Amino acid sequence: MEFRPLAHVASSDYSYERMFAFSPNRPTLPEDLIARLRPVALAKSRILPLGEPWGPLVPNAGLRRGSTVVVQAQPGLGGLSLALSLLTESSARGHWAGVVGVDDPGVVAIADLGVDLRRVLFVPRPRGAWAECAADLLIVRPPSRASHGAARRLVDRVRERGTVLIILAEPASLWPLPADLSFDITQAQWSTSSRLDARYLTVRIGGRGEAIRAGEHVVVLPSRRGRCEAN
Amino acid sequence: MERLLAIWIEAFEDEAPDGSTLRDHLALLEALTILCPFTESIRLGLFVLPIRGPSRFFGGEAKVLEIVRGTVLDVAHQQPRLGIADGLFCAEVAARQGRVIAPGASDSFRRSLALSTLGRKDVATTCQRLGLHTVGSFANLDVARVAERFNQQALALHRVARGELFELDGQRDLKLARRLRQLRGEEEVGDEQLGFFGQRGAGDDRADAAAHRVRRRLGAEAVVVASLRGGRVPEDRATLVPWGSPLSTSRDSAPWPGQMRAPSPATTLARPVAVQLRDASDHLVVMEGRGFLSETPATLLFSHQLRREVIWHAGPWPLVERWWVLNRRRAHLQILLVSGEALLLTAESNRWWLAGIYD
Repeated sequence: MEFRPLAHVASSDYSYERMFAFSPNRPTLPEDLIARLRPVALAKSRILPLGEPWGPLVPNAGLRRGSTVVVQAQPGLGGLSLALSLLTESSARGHWAGVVGVDDPGVVAIADLGVDLRRVLFVPRPRGAWAECAADLLIVRPPSRASHGAARRLVDRVRERGTVLIILAEPASLWPLPADLSFDITQAQWSTSSRLDARYLTVRIGGRGEAIRAGEHVVVLPSRRGRCEAN
Repeated sequence: MERLLAIWIEAFEDEAPDGSTLRDHLALLEALTILCPFTESIRLGLFVLPIRGPSRFFGGEAKVLEIVRGTVLDVAHQQPRLGIADGLFCAEVAARQGRVIAPGASDSFRRSLALSTLGRKDVATTCQRLGLHTVGSFANLDVARVAERFNQQALALHRVARGELFELDGQRDLKLARRLRQLRGEEEVGDEQLGFFGQRGAGDDRADAAAHRVRRRLGAEAVVVASLRGGRVPEDRATLVPWGSPLSTSRDSAPWPGQMRAPSPATTLARPVAVQLRDASDHLVVMEGRGFLSETPATLLFSHQLRREVIWHAGPWPLVERWWVLNRRRAHLQILLVSGEALLLTAESNRWWLAGIYD
């Protein structure tokens, strides 16, 4: 039986120092192997994408599944249009959306925005059954100020199902819970010619968690073509 | 040409909205199929069966008529009108008149009919002015003479009159067979909503399950899907139907001149709200006959308490649709309130209605 000197082991490529992941001189894996070993459920698949112009303005260029987005505006100043414009890119990629509590949806406007109407379910008068609709995206307009308990139940269910919840809040019906992402419409300005042409919305984007390019942005919603466009 | 027995039940012609007519029709069709397996349902309330086999089996046409009459009375509790003639067109007319046309006499029977039985008012009127009152006199016209005055459908009519075709265009209800199959449960009601490339994914199944759950809780009408159809203004172009009901798959490709262009209101009121427009001196603003406003609107009144200042307006754009039957006259007006809200108003029957909100 032969004893090797310790120094000899340490000089080989497989020294025990390198057994630990935190070791600074751990051999790197080849690139193609890393690509193959990457988990199948990418962080990306937990994100529902947002199209122009919202993509560059929010973290990850999309809405994280299970998160709550609050769109807040004075009544009649574009809150509904903004919430619907968040659906367009996901709808084009085959995700379903539910619109709950919006009484008289303007179907033409929704189609003009680029939402695929075949994959939108409307529940105009939910009468307290908000939390049942489990599409990929869910726009909810609470009828009045939601109670803390009801809001918490809805948020929990949304997180469990991996839905993105978009709350359409007005000053009379504020959302009692903190939002992961919030769009506040602070100003709406119509440009007119011989008809209503386009509306310039000043939107303050905020949120919590990941770094957000917080601040005010101006978007055109609806534009002359009825779409949502960058200014 | 086949000798047919036509069974006409007048009470079934007007379909009841609750679907009872369709159910009665189906029950009667099944009863008649037992008598003669070749029974056809042509329209609601009109059945046809070839008479030759049954008359041999039951022993004479009179016997068949008696049995059929008894069956209809038993099953549908209605007095039917029965008629026998050659070809579907003659058989239906014979049934309406309650006559049995002798074998070989159908030709003369058809030629003696009034021209209006062919169902085209314009052809009948024109021919009567020319002194042609019967189907026979119309049939005697040269094909080329008919073709140079009338269109393709009238030519088909002429062929029916001459006895070359045996049924009128539109005499059969083409959708009835499908509706009966749906009622029997042999065909799924409603077409499936397919995914982006036509396939169904997990998301589609989840959405189906969610819609079912909401329907169970809130009722069948609670979940609604939307589609677009042709029209000029947003409230005409939208259709909202309960989820699961059959959608029309026809896409409208008509140009619709005068269509209101985008942007469209994000809220389109299904039941418009009556409002008032007042000018600066608080007089009512009305639409004049020539399509102008009487004054510049300054205030919008929802009720006596709720009034809003109007800072800008565009239009009105008058719209006269289907003046030949409906004569629906409307005008649309876009207004901008001092608070920044934009609204779409409609003027109809001397009032202003709030039709949409650019929310």
